[in-house]
Amino acid sequence: MTEVTEDFFASLPDRAPAVLRSPVSGTIRIDLSTGARTDHWRVELAPGQVRVSRSPEPADAIWYSSVDLFERLVTGRTQGIAAVLRNESTFSGNLTLFLIFRHFFPDPPGTRDPREVAREQAGRSR
Amino acid sequence: MRERVSILDGNTFLVCDRRGNIEPSYDFPTGLFSFDTRFLSTWVLTLNGQLLHALSIDDAESYRTRFFMVPGEPTHYLDAKVSVIRTRSIGGSLDEELRVLNHEGREVEFTVRLDIGSDFADLFEIKHGRQKKGRVTPAAGENELRLVYRRDRFHRESVITSSMPCQVDEAGMTFSIRIGPHSEWVTNLHVATVIYGARGEDARATLPLGGHRSVDAIRTEEEDLIRRAPTLGCDCQPLAGAYQRSLKDLAALRYESITLGVRLLAAGLPWFMTLFGRDSLLTSLQALPFLPDLVPPTILMLAGLQGSRLDDFRDEEPGKILHELRYGETAGFEEQPHSPYYGSADSTPLFVILLDEYERWTGDARLVRQLEAPARAALAWLDTYGDLLGTGYVWYQTRNPETGLQNQCWKDSWDSISYADGRLPGFPRATCETQGYAYDAKLRGARLARTFWNDPAYADRLEREAAELKERFNRDFWLPDREYYALALDPDGRPVDALASNMGHLLWSGIVDESRARPVVEHLLGPRLFSGWGVRTLASDEGRYNPIGYHVGTVWPFDNSIIAWGLWRYGFREEAGRICEAMLSASQFFHGRLPEAFAGYDRDLTDYPVQYPTACSPQAWSAGTPLLLLRVMLGLEPEGEHLIIDPAVPPGMGRVELLDIRGRWGQVDALGRSRGPHNGSRGH
Repeated sequence: MTEVTEDFFASLPDRAPAVLRSPVSGTIRIDLSTGARTDHWRVELAPGQVRVSRSPEPADAIWYSSVDLFERLVTGRTQGIAAVLRNESTFSGNLTLFLIFRHFFPDPPGTRDPREVAREQAGRSR
Repeated sequence: MRERVSILDGNTFLVCDRRGNIEPSYDFPTGLFSFDTRFLSTWVLTLNGQLLHALSIDDAESYRTRFFMVPGEPTHYLDAKVSVIRTRSIGGSLDEELRVLNHEGREVEFTVRLDIGSDFADLFEIKHGRQKKGRVTPAAGENELRLVYRRDRFHRESVITSSMPCQVDEAGMTFSIRIGPHSEWVTNLHVATVIYGARGEDARATLPLGGHRSVDAIRTEEEDLIRRAPTLGCDCQPLAGAYQRSLKDLAALRYESITLGVRLLAAGLPWFMTLFGRDSLLTSLQALPFLPDLVPPTILMLAGLQGSRLDDFRDEEPGKILHELRYGETAGFEEQPHSPYYGSADSTPLFVILLDEYERWTGDARLVRQLEAPARAALAWLDTYGDLLGTGYVWYQTRNPETGLQNQCWKDSWDSISYADGRLPGFPRATCETQGYAYDAKLRGARLARTFWNDPAYADRLEREAAELKERFNRDFWLPDREYYALALDPDGRPVDALASNMGHLLWSGIVDESRARPVVEHLLGPRLFSGWGVRTLASDEGRYNPIGYHVGTVWPFDNSIIAWGLWRYGFREEAGRICEAMLSASQFFHGRLPEAFAGYDRDLTDYPVQYPTACSPQAWSAGTPLLLLRVMLGLEPEGEHLIIDPAVPPGMGRVELLDIRGRWGQVDALGRSRGPHNGSRGH
């Protein structure tokens, strides 16, 4: 298990109030595989809060990913839905939970606020 | 261009020639498609080495076609001793019944050959002429041909099976048959389209609704949907025909989302068979009084896929509603940004508008409460990331110059926004109709906040902001010397001064100052914009005007329906009626199915509406047009727990009655009648 992934899961409870604003509750399990080994992360989602545990217990939704892909997701270097479309990742169960969980993924590295960029350009064009 | 025949069920569709054949095409989407992938690119039938031609084609149902055929070219002297009937239907997969009839009084031997192939092209590879990165491997089996495409773990298969024995090779199937005197031979061909998920199973098999539907299931579902719609009785045959056609087409365009397992509305055949934010929102607004059940899955899906981060490749920002969602290889491998793509400045305000309008019709307060967070995020987007320059308007500028859209308004082609002299403005741009939507979204958001979210302070703020926006807009966009609203503002805040149809949408939004409505209406129905068949996208004397230019001179039925709604809102019933009359007259020339767009030539010049060369048809918001026009003619407006009915039927249209309109009031009937009696000579 990589440090980035561990840090990502550790950060979720603090970020939940800002990210989980809809009245949706449920459990999503993320199965991360590398070689023959699979790690299970279980995230209980509720409005404004999450509880993270490492457990293979059943969940409302399961998301399958390689350790490598997940690291790219939690560092913003790729995107979850595209990964599913190219079949690098797959999921089963309640899709709403998957769509909500993706809100925890960060911007791609180096992304700037588009307003800053547009205002700088507009300033130059005048 | 050879004439084409299409059948569809949701986003699985087949486009072929008049022989029922598919010949490889690298620039137009002919073939069998599902979820943005072409599963068949070759499907050519010969009898004793000869192509067949169709004597007649029965394509009354959107999901089934029947070709009655004989060998040879149509110019030959016809004395066919054999004929062929190809009957095909579509429902996630393709079924074709091939029937060969021997008309001779003796037994005859025939060789029936079907050439089969697939390039598994992604729709965007066809659009941009790109080469495939993966490999196609054909595998001939017993009465089965399997075409396999793989690129990394991306895996698609077409599996073609025949019910009758045949010789299978890697490029097709051959049937060597003997048919008795006056007898026939039949085989049933089945083409399964398989989309493999990560664990080696068809990804659709694990979804709650399943991807494949029988023809009976399609028919039952279509009939059920149409039965729940109000019943129309009228003297005007074009209106009756267009109404039925629209309901059927909207039923056929519903598809099952591979990512959510709910039925969504695809935008248009063949290029746009997927979820578009703007198209599905506007179509939902048009169809809401008739097919309210279409709305919740659409709005929930758009909320579920709302932007959550900054992503330049996808033009994504927190709170933004998507532009386009694709399921194919290029979206998956991030060669195209549609996973989803967010390059649309107007879908976000339209999302709030639809949510409010939906509640006003249905009284479904639960959905409004459930979607409070996405609706607030959408409203917040208007004033944050939407206002790129911090000037109080919604602007757009793509951050993906390679594969993003330059114009992120409904006129999304590259040259649609111009000054009157034809020059193109710089970026960012703020188009006028988007500001109207933003104004309307704020007012509707205020109603939702006050009534359902228990937040009167937020409601007050939104109303104050709307009032300020209206004042600002009427100051900055109005061109006093020409008496119309500018099409857009350029990055320096100067008006982009072409005269265009966009300002018709401003009437719908209510952002137009009362004193300016009259001159706006005179422009919309004046000779520069009104062709006689409808309002042109761009006035005929503008620098970039072209009667067959996609967004620079053609007439778009959906655009006209929104304009008619706006004219009604400002009390211009007679003018709204003229647009209704023009559209319904035009619809007759397309068998009741209004295309995406038709040419902007004067009605006097052509006597019939000339179809735009590559127009999509059926197209969801064109199918929605007759529905919205009916609403406009009957003056249907929810007011509290009641439905106001205030008809103004155009002269000569006779009786128009709509029975069993569903809503929070239960069911009511609306009756209207034109001042004079029905007069068919007016073309409606």
